[in-house]
Amino acid sequence: MTPPLETDVVVVGGGVTGVAVLRDLALRGVHAILVERFDLGTGTSGRWHGLLHSGARYAVRDQESARECIEENTTLRRIAPHTIEDIGGLFVLLPGDDEAYAGQFVEGCQASGIPTEELSPAAAHRREPLLAPEVKLAFAVPDGGIDSWSLLRSMAADAEARGCQVLVRHPIVGVERSGDRINAVRVHDAVAGEDRTIGCQWVVNAAGAWAGEVGRLAGVPITMIAGKGVMVVMASRYVHGVVNACRKPADGDIIVPQHEVAILGTTSEQVPSPDDISVPPADVDRMIDMCAQMVPSIASGRVLRAFAGSRPLYKPEAPAGGDGQAGGDTREVSRTFTVLDHASRDGLDNMFSIVGGKLTTCRQMAQAVVDRLAERMGVTEPCRTATEVLPGADHGHHRLAEPLARVERDQAYGELICECELVTRGQVRQAVADGLTELEDLRRKLRLGYGPCQAAFCAWRAAGMLAEGSWEPHDGPAGRESAPRRPEGAGAPPDPVAGLERFLEERWRGQRSTIWGDQGRQALLNHAIYRGIFDLRGDGVPDEAAAALDQPPRTEPGAGDPTQRVGEELAGDSEGRTSSRAKGR
Amino acid sequence: MRADVVVVGAGPAGLASATRLAEAGRQVLLLARGNGFTHWGAGSVDVLGRVGGEPVERPLEAIDRLPEGHPYHLVGQAAVRDGLDWFSGFTAAAGLTHTGDPERNRSQVTAFGTLRPTCLLPEPAAGELRGRVAVVNFAGFRDFSPALCAQRLRRAGIDAVPASAPMPAWDHDRYFTGVELARAIDDAGFRRRLAPGLARAVAGAEVAVVPAVLGLNRGHEPWADLQSLVGTPLVEAATAPPSIPGLRLFAAYRARLEALGVRWQFGFPAVGVERDGDRVTAVRSEGASRVLATHCQELVLATGGVAGNGIDANRDGTLTEQVAGLPVEGFDDRLGFMGDQFLGDHPLAAAGVRVDAELRPVDAAGEPLLANVRCVGGLLAGHDPTTEGSREGVALATAARVAAVLAATPAR
Repeated sequence: MTPPLETDVVVVGGGVTGVAVLRDLALRGVHAILVERFDLGTGTSGRWHGLLHSGARYAVRDQESARECIEENTTLRRIAPHTIEDIGGLFVLLPGDDEAYAGQFVEGCQASGIPTEELSPAAAHRREPLLAPEVKLAFAVPDGGIDSWSLLRSMAADAEARGCQVLVRHPIVGVERSGDRINAVRVHDAVAGEDRTIGCQWVVNAAGAWAGEVGRLAGVPITMIAGKGVMVVMASRYVHGVVNACRKPADGDIIVPQHEVAILGTTSEQVPSPDDISVPPADVDRMIDMCAQMVPSIASGRVLRAFAGSRPLYKPEAPAGGDGQAGGDTREVSRTFTVLDHASRDGLDNMFSIVGGKLTTCRQMAQAVVDRLAERMGVTEPCRTATEVLPGADHGHHRLAEPLARVERDQAYGELICECELVTRGQVRQAVADGLTELEDLRRKLRLGYGPCQAAFCAWRAAGMLAEGSWEPHDGPAGRESAPRRPEGAGAPPDPVAGLERFLEERWRGQRSTIWGDQGRQALLNHAIYRGIFDLRGDGVPDEAAAALDQPPRTEPGAGDPTQRVGEELAGDSEGRTSSRAKGR
Repeated sequence: MRADVVVVGAGPAGLASATRLAEAGRQVLLLARGNGFTHWGAGSVDVLGRVGGEPVERPLEAIDRLPEGHPYHLVGQAAVRDGLDWFSGFTAAAGLTHTGDPERNRSQVTAFGTLRPTCLLPEPAAGELRGRVAVVNFAGFRDFSPALCAQRLRRAGIDAVPASAPMPAWDHDRYFTGVELARAIDDAGFRRRLAPGLARAVAGAEVAVVPAVLGLNRGHEPWADLQSLVGTPLVEAATAPPSIPGLRLFAAYRARLEALGVRWQFGFPAVGVERDGDRVTAVRSEGASRVLATHCQELVLATGGVAGNGIDANRDGTLTEQVAGLPVEGFDDRLGFMGDQFLGDHPLAAAGVRVDAELRPVDAAGEPLLANVRCVGGLLAGHDPTTEGSREGVALATAARVAAVLAATPAR
C-alpha cells in the first residue's frame, strides 16, 4: 500500500468550488490536499453553458444571488481575465412577453447593482444581426463567457505552486472517525488500484451536487436536490454575446456563444440522482424551438451534441433524509450558497460543507467557508483570492481569434492535429509529455474533438501520438521513430486503440439524441472511417488501469479496526475512467 | 438541356454505371453534387466482408446468408461476378491493376494495424506481410502513425516495427497533406531522392507497410518504381480520407468517361424531377443562379444512402429521398436511427429505397412506381455498406445490372 499522506485540510471535490477552496487555503499558507473521483471539472463544472453571470437572470426573483453574481463577475474579470470572453449579454423582449416583467427586470438590476442599458430594436439588431426581427426591446448587461476548465487549471496550478496537492482519480471511499472527529479520509487511487489514507485535521466537503453522498460517508445528513439541466451545442456561434429572453427564467431562454460553438440552455428538472445526466430528445427539441424564437436561424442549424449537468441545489428546510419531489421544476430553489459547520449542526467537530451556489460565485463560496474554517483553526491570514491575480492572466481576456492568430503567426497549418479546434501537434506532444494518456483528458485540456467533425480526424491522429509516446523500443531497422522510454515500473503501456475506442464511445453518448440532417451524415461518415476503413470493432484490449477502474475494489470494514468506519463507496460512472495523471503527485 | 440517360451521383455506383452505359452506346450526362465514396473508402473492393459481424471467407457463397431484400439477392450472383470482371478489366486497362479472387476474401492492412476483410485490392495494397515488417511513415506526414499500426500488427502475431523515412528537401517542408505527397511521388526525380532514406528505414525488413500515398496521377507506376529503387516490397495501408487509391480510381473513371464523350456536371445537386405519369421527363438541378431542367429518357439515381446524401434523416425520425421523393421507410423516432455503441451497428446506414429486380423503385406492395428510374449503390434499401463491407461490390453489381436492363431498352 502507498504510504499514508498527512495534511491539515482535505478538500473533497475537484470542481470549481473545491479548487477555489484549495487555492484560498494555499494563499493563507494552509497545507491542503484536494481529492477528486475523476478528473478536474468532470461534474457540474464541466457540464454547463459557460455563462459568466452578470446576475441579471436573478434580478427579479433572487436578488441575493444577483448581488453575489455581479460582485464576482467583477472580481473574476480582474483575477482571471484569460478564462473570460468579454462578450456582454442582452435580454430581449419578444412579442407575447410580459412588458411589466421588463420593468421589474430593470428595477431588480438597479437594486442589485447590475448596470443595464436599454437598446432599441434597431440598436439590438446592429449588435446581434441574427436576432428575430420582431424583438421589441433589449437590455445590455455585463454577462460574459467563461471557460471553466481554464479557470480550474489556473486555480489548481496556483494552489500547487504554493505547496498544496491535487489528487485526481482518487474517489473518497470512507472516513475514519474517532468520536466527534474525523482523523483521516480514505481514498481509492484508481490508477494504482489501491486505497490510500490521508490523515487530516479538517475536512471541507465541496462535492457540489454530490455533497450529500460525502455527508453520508462522514455520517452527517445533507439534503441536496439534483436539478438536471439539458443543454444543446450548435455547430456555430450565431451571436456575438450572450442572449437571454427577458422573462421569468424558463426552458430554452439562453444562448451562450463559447469558443466556436453556441450552447442553448437549459431545462431545470429535479431528478433522483446527480448522476442522472440523460438527455431526452424532446428536451433537445424544446431547447431548439425556444431559442429559435430569439434567433430564428437556430431552427435550421446544425446541432453538434447535447448534454446535461446537475445543479448543486441545497434546500435547508428539507427534512433530513427526505428527497423532495422528483420531477418538479427546481428554478424556485435559491441559487445562493450556504456554509454548513457540522460541529454546531451535527456534532462533528472538524468538517465544513459548502453547498449551493454557482460557478460565477465559486471564489466567494470558497472565501466564505475558508473564513469560517480559518477562524476555527486560528489562522489569521486574511483571504487574498479576490486580489491575487491567477497565473496566465497577463494577456487580458480570451479572444475567439487568438488560436487562429497563433497558428498563422507560427505558420503551423501543417501542425494541426484537430482542424476544428486548431489544436497543434506541439500542444498534443506537450500534453503527452505532461503525462496525459487518455484522449478524454486531452479533450478537456485542449478542446480536441469538440468541433463540427466530432473527432473524425483528430482522435486517431492523437491516438497515434499517444502510441508513439508509449512505444517500447525494439531492435529494428535504422531510422526508427524515436520514442521516450516509459519510466521504470510504469507497467504495460496503455493500448492507444482501446483508449481511442473509449473516447469515441464517450463522445457518442452526447450525440445520440442529436442525430438528424447533417449530423446523421457526419455520424455515418465517421463510422465509415473508424469501423469501415480502420476496422475498429470496439474490442480493443483494455489496459490494466482501465480494467482496475472498471471494477474498483470494495472497501470492507476491517475486523478489529480501532477506528470507526462510516459510509459507503460512492457510485461511479463511465466518465473519465483512466489516466496516470495522478501518478507522481 | 437534354440527355438520353442522366446518372445522378459520382460515387462508386454512379461512376461505374455511367461508364458502362456509355460503353454500351448510351448518351450519358453525369450530374453530381460532389465527390462520393471513392474518396472516403479504404481503396479496395469490398464485396462481402462480414455477415452477422463474423468475417467472411467466401463472399459469393456468403450471399446466401444475407437477409431477404438485400441488393445482392435482387441482382443475383451473376451480376456480382459481371461487375467484378468488368471492374478488373477496366482498372487493368487504366494502369490500376487489381488482384484478388471473387471466390475468396483476403485481408487489407490498415493504418491502425488491423487486417480488414476485402475482396479485390489494388496491387500496391496487395503484398503479403511476412517475416519482419517495417511500418514506415514519411517524416512529418501527420495522418499515419507507425507506432500505432505496428502495435496492433504485433498483437496479430506479425513481427512489425515502426520506422520513419526522412523527406528530401521539397516545397512543402512545413505543410503537406497526403495528396501533396502523392503528387510529389508522381515525379521520378523526387522518387530517386526519396528512395535512399526509405531504404535505410526498411533495412532488415522483408516487407514495408507505408501510408497509401505512393503516387496520384500515374496509376501504379510510381509505386512499382519506388519499390524497385528501395529493393523491398512496399504495401500501402488503408489510410484515412481522402483515399489516394480512391483518387487514382476516380481519375481513371474521369478519363474514361471523357474519352467516351460523357458530359459531366460537378457541383450541381439534383433537387427534383419532372414527371409525366409513371415516367420522369426531366431532372432539376441547382446551378449557381437558377434551377436547371435536364430532359432525359432514363434516370439512374446513384445518390447514396444517408451517408452519401441521397437520403435526408429528419428530426422526427422520417427519411426523405432527395431527388424524386421516393418512399423510404423511416423510424418511429430519431433515437431509432443509431445504435447505443458508436462502433456497433446503426440502422440508419441500411435505410434506402426498395426496388424490383430491374432496380425500379417500388411501392409498399412491390409495384414499380416509376418506369424509367433505376436506383443503384448505397441508395438501395436492405444493406449496410460499412458493417457488411459490401460498398463497392453492391455498386459494381447494381451498375452491371443497370447496364443489362438498359441494354434491353435502347435509346429512343
